Formats: sequence, structure tokens, C-alpha cells
Amino acid sequence: MRRTFLFSLWVIPAFLLFSCSEKKDAAKDTAALPDSLKYKGATLNILCWEGYADEKFTKAFAEKYGVTVKGTYFGSSDELVSKLQGGGGASYDIISPSCDVASYIVDAGLVQPIDPTKISEFNNLSELLRNMSDVKRGNDIYGMPFTWGPDYLVYNADEIKEEPKSWNIFFDPKYKGKISVWDDISNIYLMGQILGMDKADKSALYNMNDDQLKQAKEKLMKLKPQIRKFWATAGELDNLFKNKEVVAAVGWPLTPATLNKQGMNIKSTIPQEGATGWIDRLMITKNSPNKELAMLYLDYISKPENMAKVAEVTTYSIANPRAKEFMSAELQELTYINNMTYYHERLNFWQYVKERKKYNELWNEVKSGVQ
Amino acid sequence: MRATLFQYAFGTNQKLNMTTVYSTRAKILLLAPMFTWLTAFLLLPYFFIFIQSFLQSDAFGNVVYSFTAESYIKIFSNKLYYFTLFKTLLMSCFVAVLCVIISLPLCYFIAFKVQSESRKTMLYTLIVLPFWVSYIVRAYSWKIILGQFGILNGFLTYTGLISEPLSFILYSDFATIICLVYIFTPFVAIPIYTAFEQIPKSLVEASKDLGAGSWTTFSRVIIPLALPGIISGATFALVLTMGDFLAPVLLGGPNTLFISNIVQNLFGTSNDKPLGSALGIVILALIVIVLEVSTYFEKKYSSFKS
Repeated sequence: MRRTFLFSLWVIPAFLLFSCSEKKDAAKDTAALPDSLKYKGATLNILCWEGYADEKFTKAFAEKYGVTVKGTYFGSSDELVSKLQGGGGASYDIISPSCDVASYIVDAGLVQPIDPTKISEFNNLSELLRNMSDVKRGNDIYGMPFTWGPDYLVYNADEIKEEPKSWNIFFDPKYKGKISVWDDISNIYLMGQILGMDKADKSALYNMNDDQLKQAKEKLMKLKPQIRKFWATAGELDNLFKNKEVVAAVGWPLTPATLNKQGMNIKSTIPQEGATGWIDRLMITKNSPNKELAMLYLDYISKPENMAKVAEVTTYSIANPRAKEFMSAELQELTYINNMTYYHERLNFWQYVKERKKYNELWNEVKSGVQ
Repeated sequence: MRATLFQYAFGTNQKLNMTTVYSTRAKILLLAPMFTWLTAFLLLPYFFIFIQSFLQSDAFGNVVYSFTAESYIKIFSNKLYYFTLFKTLLMSCFVAVLCVIISLPLCYFIAFKVQSESRKTMLYTLIVLPFWVSYIVRAYSWKIILGQFGILNGFLTYTGLISEPLSFILYSDFATIICLVYIFTPFVAIPIYTAFEQIPKSLVEASKDLGAGSWTTFSRVIIPLALPGIISGATFALVLTMGDFLAPVLLGGPNTLFISNIVQNLFGTSNDKPLGSALGIVILALIVIVLEVSTYFEKKYSSFKS
């Protein structure tokens, strides 16, 4: 969902054309063969966010087992779910859902449990990420953490000299018409966080009752006069900062990174109320024709040297802190690999919102201004 | 040149009116591609949307096949939907009127004041020229013009008319309307110009011979004769604005929300396809009504009906 701005939509039809045709079960009758021959000729299909099946890190795996790794990109969480439910489950082996739909996908029975003992690095992955309960059912674990990121307060340090301690800076009359937030229901989560709804239970932000929704709406209506523009793409937010239209916003890590390269002084922070964030996990589909191969891929991709390549390609933060030694100092800084625990403790990772329609309607009401 | 094109298009030139030459079978063959196209990409989708508007969706947007009018009830009971629809219609009327106000003097000048044919063609081409650039680029360029440190604010500050850059001009309903007027003015200008061109110059001369001044000639001879063109132009702008969602996204402020933005959201993140379809049908019905009314008036005021 968060990367809808990536122009992945037009890539999909091209990939679909290819990925539909080959469905070989390479593992059949070959149990006795060594791994290097067993899967020869098979195709591992990955349905993922753009960049998550890049040749730069899939190539070595493909060569090792003599298989083809094919990435198909989706542009939003909704697209992923509708693809899986539309019978695509058997065409793909691995998917990369974000945490806003992860638990739904598990509950809908679209994926199968993974075997952590077959992932050599599993216990080295960030403890907080791998222990999250939304993809655990009893003793079964349904996903391996892959990448993550915060939605934090980004501000122009030339205009706001002191690091903001609280999200309340968004409501400061001094910055009227100088604030920007994402055009998305995630603002409802943020208002809940500012109002302290998640203090006792982090999932409260995603399961607000009518009264809480009303409070969030009131808060959003108060925020509205402060807003210059709801940004639709990360690129748009970059431009808002560059043209000095805004001084503070909810943003993603890439915004300060991009702008500071252009000589600006943009900083980011997680205020005392905390911030929301996202994790993408790798999961194996229920009807995957290549389950064993998919497990081998999970083992392969979680290795430090490969995770480092993932970070390099996507610039997202990754789940294995041991990848650090394979990353440049700049990349380490960009992906917070040194402060992972610090961030994870203060982030409230998105969860599946059952009342999606209600949240969206509320967001539209805020935009239209009707009470 | 324009006159002959017009005659060609409407078959008033007998030499070009060749309908009698073709047999019925040939007619069917000639129409088949367009008919297939319209059926596959217009009628069937409409039909599908219509059916879908009476269905329901579950928590994750899977369409549930049970008949209900819930979506329609929601549209007419929740202020969000009917108010936004009303506001969009109002904005569309406003855009249409502005487009007409800009187009009238422009087209009058080209049609009646410019003498040389080649200059006329050149000016006409200038009106059409913006079509060569994609919509998104043109809409985006308004950001550069209207921004806090944009061209307009820069000019106003430089000339000392204002001391602080005006921030309300970008990211507001105002910016959205400016952009839409700019983009849809050619759609309005073309039919108005065509209508002006059709008016026999002798009528204008007759009016002046009978002692009418320029204004009287314009308001009592030219405008009534060009009214069908004006109506059809205004309808273009109105209908196109009703369906626009890009300008509000690019240039609108926190308060700008057009009905198409809601439709986009319903088919996107909210994943409520039945409600989105119902909204689509309501907009469609509204536009059909607008078109019907406009056609009625176009016919009523048409003085050149043979």
C-alpha cells in the first residue's frame, strides 16, 4: 500500500504473461537427489513489492539451484489480497505482505506455516520483529520478517531549530498552513497515538470504536487548518519541502535522505508519543508448488550478505542486524541498522484494520469537511 | 476551409452525401468495428457497474452476491456523498461559466475582427496547441506558477503589490478551478468559434445597416445565433470537470475533494466496489440529465436547422 507510488502497475501484465505458463513440480520423484540437482528447471514465483525480487540478490540463488526466480510486483496491499483470493495462490510461491494485511492473509488461510528450523539465521533476526504475534497461530509462524520502516516526523531543521518532542507541533499556530500528512487512513492511527489510545494496547489504533473514531475525527478536523497539502506520493512530499511549502510532515526515511543530498537540512524524529511503522514479511502460499525451494529461498535471503544487498537495492531497513558488516557506513545510517531496537520499541507497527471501510469513509469526511 | 469541413461533417454538401451509394450490408460492415468497440468497452462495463452497484462487499472488499440498494441509500443519506456530489456540480458550473466568459471575446475576435485567413488559422491553431502537451504536465506546471515561491508570487512581490507571498493561491479550490478552466477552455472555444464562423457576415452587416451598435449587434444578433455552440461548449466543460480527479489531487488543498476522488478511493484503498459503482451510476445519471437538458436547449435555439 505504501508504495503505490512506485510505478509497478504496468510491470504486472508483462510478468503475468510469463508466470502463468510454467507450473512445474520439480520436487516430484527427486527426493534422493542432492539439493543442487533436485530443483533444476523449476521456477520460483515471488509476488512482492517492487524491488523485492531484484536480480542483484536473486541471481546467486537461481544459479546455485539451477532455477528461475521470477518476481511479479503488486502496487497495493489490496491488490495482493485480491490476487491471492482470485486463485493466484497456486501461481506464486512466496509473497511479501505488509503488516496491514498480514494477519488477514493468515486468517484467510492463504499461506502455510514456515519452518524456522530450516532458516539458519532465523534466531538472528530482530527479536521484536520475529516475535510479533499477528502472524503466529499457536506454535505456527507464518512469516519471516524481511524489511521495515517508520512513518515519522520529518522537519526542516532550518525552520524548526529545536527537535520537536511531541506531535503537537503539528497543531502549533506558528506552523499554520505549513504541515503536510499522507493522504491515507494512517492519519487516523496517528491521531489515536497522539491521543494516547495505544498506551495500554498497541492494537487499539487499528480497532477503534465509534467513540474513539469520533475523537480521532475531531482531532483531524483541528489539524486540517494547519495542513498545506495532503501528500500523495513521497516525491510530492520532497517537492513540498524543497519549495518551502511545508516545514514539518509525516514522512518516510527516504525523504530526508533525498533532500539532504540536495543540500537541505531535513531531520527526522520519533516524538514522545511514538510513531507508526510497517514491516513486510515473506510468506509461503498455501498451494505453493515449490514449498521446499521456497524454504531454501527464505534461508538464503535472510543471510547477512544477501540482506545487505536487499537494503542496497530498496534502501529500506532490513530484519537481520548481522547484515551490517556488508553495508557501507552511509547505508547503515540510512537503514538504522545500529539502532534497530531503539526504533522497534517506539514504533507501533500497522495492523489489519477490520473496519477499513469505516476508516476510509471517516478520512473522506475529514477531507470534505462535512460533520 | 472551416465551412467546407463543417458541411462535410454534417452532410449538407450534396456531392459528399454518399449514404445512398452503400447497401445495408455494407453499412453494417462499416459500423461493425465501432459497434463492437462500444459494446465491449462502453456498454458492457456500464452494465457490469450497474449490476455491481446493487451488490454488497465484505470486510475486505470481496463482492458478495446478494441484492441490496444499500449503496444508493448511503449515497443519499450520508452527507459526505451527496454534499460532495453537489459541490462538484457547483464547481463544474462555475468552471463552465468561466470558460465561456473567456472564450466569447476570444472567439469573437478571431471570427469577426481578424481579416486574413492565414492569421485566423494560426490563432485557431494556438487555441488547439495545448492539446499537444499531456494533461498531467499542464496541470503540474500550475504548481510552478502558483507556488509560494512560484512565478506569480515572485512577480507580485517584485512589483511590490504584495509584501508576503500569497499562500492561498496554490493547494486550494482556487488553484483547482484555475487549472480546470485553463485545461477545458479549448473545449469550449472550439464549438463557440465554429458557431461564430457559421454566422453569415451579411447578417452582421444588416444589423449595423439598421443602426444597431456593436454591442447591440453582439448581444441581439451574434449571441442568439451562436447560442447552440455556447451551450455545447459549456456542456463539455461541465461534464469534463464532473469527471476530473487529477486537478484536485495535484493542486487542491486540504478542503478540495471532488466526487471522482471519492470514487477513486472507493475502488482503491477502501475497496468498496459496490458503493463506488453506485456512485458511478449516480454521476452517470446526473451527466445524462445535463446532456439531455443541454441538447434540448441547443435544438431550441438552433436557427440554422434546415
